[in-house]
Amino acid sequence: MTSLGRRGESEALHARARSMVRAFERRAAMPESFDTLAVDLARFQERTVPGYARLCAARGVDPARMVRAVDAPAVPTDAFKLAHVFAFDATDAAVTFRTSGTTLGARGTHFMRDVGTYDVAALAFGREMLARGLTLPISVLVIGPSADEAPDSSLAHMCTLFARALTQGAVARQTFFVRAGSLDVDGVRARVAVLDPAAPAVVLATSFALVHLLDALGGERLALPAGSRVMQTGGFKGKSREVAADVLRHDTALAFGVPERAVIGEYGMTELSSQFWEATLVDEGARHGVYLAPPWARVVAVDPETLAPVPDGAIGIARVEDLANVDSAFAILTQDRVRSVAGGFELLGRASGAPPRGCSIALDEMLSSAGGFT
Amino acid sequence: MSRSVEERMADVRRLLECARVLFAARAGLAPAIAAASGLTAEGVELGFASLEREATDAELRAFVAAAGDAGRVHVVLSANVFVAPLRAMALARAAAERVTVRVSPRDPVLTRALVEEAVAAGDGAIALVDERDVARVDAGEVHVYGRDETIAAVRAGVRPGVVVRGHGSGMGVAIVSPGAQMDGAADALALDVVAFDQRGCLSPRLAVILGSAARAEVFAEALHASLRALGTRIPRGQLLADERSDACRWRDALSFAGRVWDASDHAVALAPEGSPLLVPPAGRHVTVIPVPSPEAVVSALSPIARFVVAVGTDDLAALGGMAPAHARRSVLGAMQRPPLDGPVDRRSA
Repeated sequence: MTSLGRRGESEALHARARSMVRAFERRAAMPESFDTLAVDLARFQERTVPGYARLCAARGVDPARMVRAVDAPAVPTDAFKLAHVFAFDATDAAVTFRTSGTTLGARGTHFMRDVGTYDVAALAFGREMLARGLTLPISVLVIGPSADEAPDSSLAHMCTLFARALTQGAVARQTFFVRAGSLDVDGVRARVAVLDPAAPAVVLATSFALVHLLDALGGERLALPAGSRVMQTGGFKGKSREVAADVLRHDTALAFGVPERAVIGEYGMTELSSQFWEATLVDEGARHGVYLAPPWARVVAVDPETLAPVPDGAIGIARVEDLANVDSAFAILTQDRVRSVAGGFELLGRASGAPPRGCSIALDEMLSSAGGFT
Repeated sequence: MSRSVEERMADVRRLLECARVLFAARAGLAPAIAAASGLTAEGVELGFASLEREATDAELRAFVAAAGDAGRVHVVLSANVFVAPLRAMALARAAAERVTVRVSPRDPVLTRALVEEAVAAGDGAIALVDERDVARVDAGEVHVYGRDETIAAVRAGVRPGVVVRGHGSGMGVAIVSPGAQMDGAADALALDVVAFDQRGCLSPRLAVILGSAARAEVFAEALHASLRALGTRIPRGQLLADERSDACRWRDALSFAGRVWDASDHAVALAPEGSPLLVPPAGRHVTVIPVPSPEAVVSALSPIARFVVAVGTDDLAALGGMAPAHARRSVLGAMQRPPLDGPVDRRSA
């Protein structure tokens, strides 16, 4: 395939993924089935990503015979640390996101030739799950760094994207409250103090930054305007003490003076282009801990040994299928345990294994000793 | 020091004599050890080769010196290969006149047999205890063998004044020199890998090949052949679910990034030069990686250096600073049989 042909094929696939996003925004029917685009993506990636061709061969998968998304082998997230998972040359990347962890000296790298599909997908679903019913523009506070400060962080990119979209381009000077690795608690306090009490605001935060903020506040309350919402995402990665999800949610709601249902979790990964959200703001029947997928992505619980889907309700490892991951890997194998439930999937965290035999160091012990994974 | 060095050496020698008795009677112990450890009968037999039964005077002097001095030592065995209790008890006995041992509930066979044999041989200073609460140890030292979290729990649980010596989990690394004869080095490394189904803290899980990617590929292929041949004589036991799932993920990641030689009872993966080290799970899985220079070996190993308990090589003289300073050094094929000159794990406790 020529470089031009490859680029043209990639652009056509991006266009198809974006069509799905647009259909979602219009609340229209999807223009094609998930499996149709998934199989075309897998075939494109098998032809253009050498590692994926090797993985397909090792798994005995003939891309020509793929029919459904689940027929395509999933790329383990570790592969993003070991090799280029990219259909193009690294020099063709418009953005390069890297995993935050430095586990065992390695950071995963996700190259994107065209970040536009990421942006429209993230915004469409994020706006729906986080900002439904709000009249824009609204105030946004990010308890994290900006994209300028952390250009290789996909989370900083997403938060900056949301800040621009939700403020309709009028991003306040005091929006990002982690600078040079330090949390500006006084800045958060000052910004909350000047918020319009009649206009709801949105806070976007990582879990560990929230813990630091709550610790610094020490019980002090920073009440947000009525109708405000808080997004929390990510694990702790050894960057703060670990706090149980329900405790962190409760303490966050208390500190910001919002109902617990207005504190919602987002699940995303550097290796993906799409995100998954708790639906407590948009569905009265939804509960915390259950994440919803957009129509162009899904999470399949698979058996960790056979990688075959497990029955509904059984616990498996998350295989994430993301149709917006056009130029890298449409199917990713994570290390997170999940369970399919009505309305989405439950995120159960990393597996805690059976006691090991012998004194050979176990991988989870090595990783936790190194300060966490991605 | 209430006992002389010679008296302490004599106490250790008595335990070595017990080990010789048990080694001679190993056929009777093997089925229970196989059931507890998950090893096959052939794997248990190979493991017994690593049971310390002899030591020179010089080694024993070094061993006693490394043991320190305590009025009493309580040994907590949590996660070990099945022969490890001998050295653990010997170290405690060299240090103290009174030793209590809490067996690993998952792998109690050799520990119980050793203590019974020691008592029968006239050493009344060693006793088994079921006590799980280390806070009941009122003085002396606690020697704990297990995962970091186990060691941390013991440290947190002991009374003030009680010294805890932790012996954590770890791994081995093989470094293959530019002058190595590939088939011979692969055969020797395979023996180190197969012992205890790679579940020891000395077990090599990475093979660093000094030289080109092509050379590393030749070695990986040779190691695959060696493991296949050895596997027919010494079949692998059952893997735990975590080991199987970790192996699946490791295989796929390295199929993507490099090349994998896969078999029903082992796998060898070739990682690309310059890539981060992806450590495989135990269970006869080895990542082979080419590294261009000794300096690059140091750099490549640095993220995992604190986990490396042993380094095996075909050329000890050329090892220099490539191995972490705390790691035991041996020739390939002898990584699982370190001399009885101190704890297996030389990292600071």
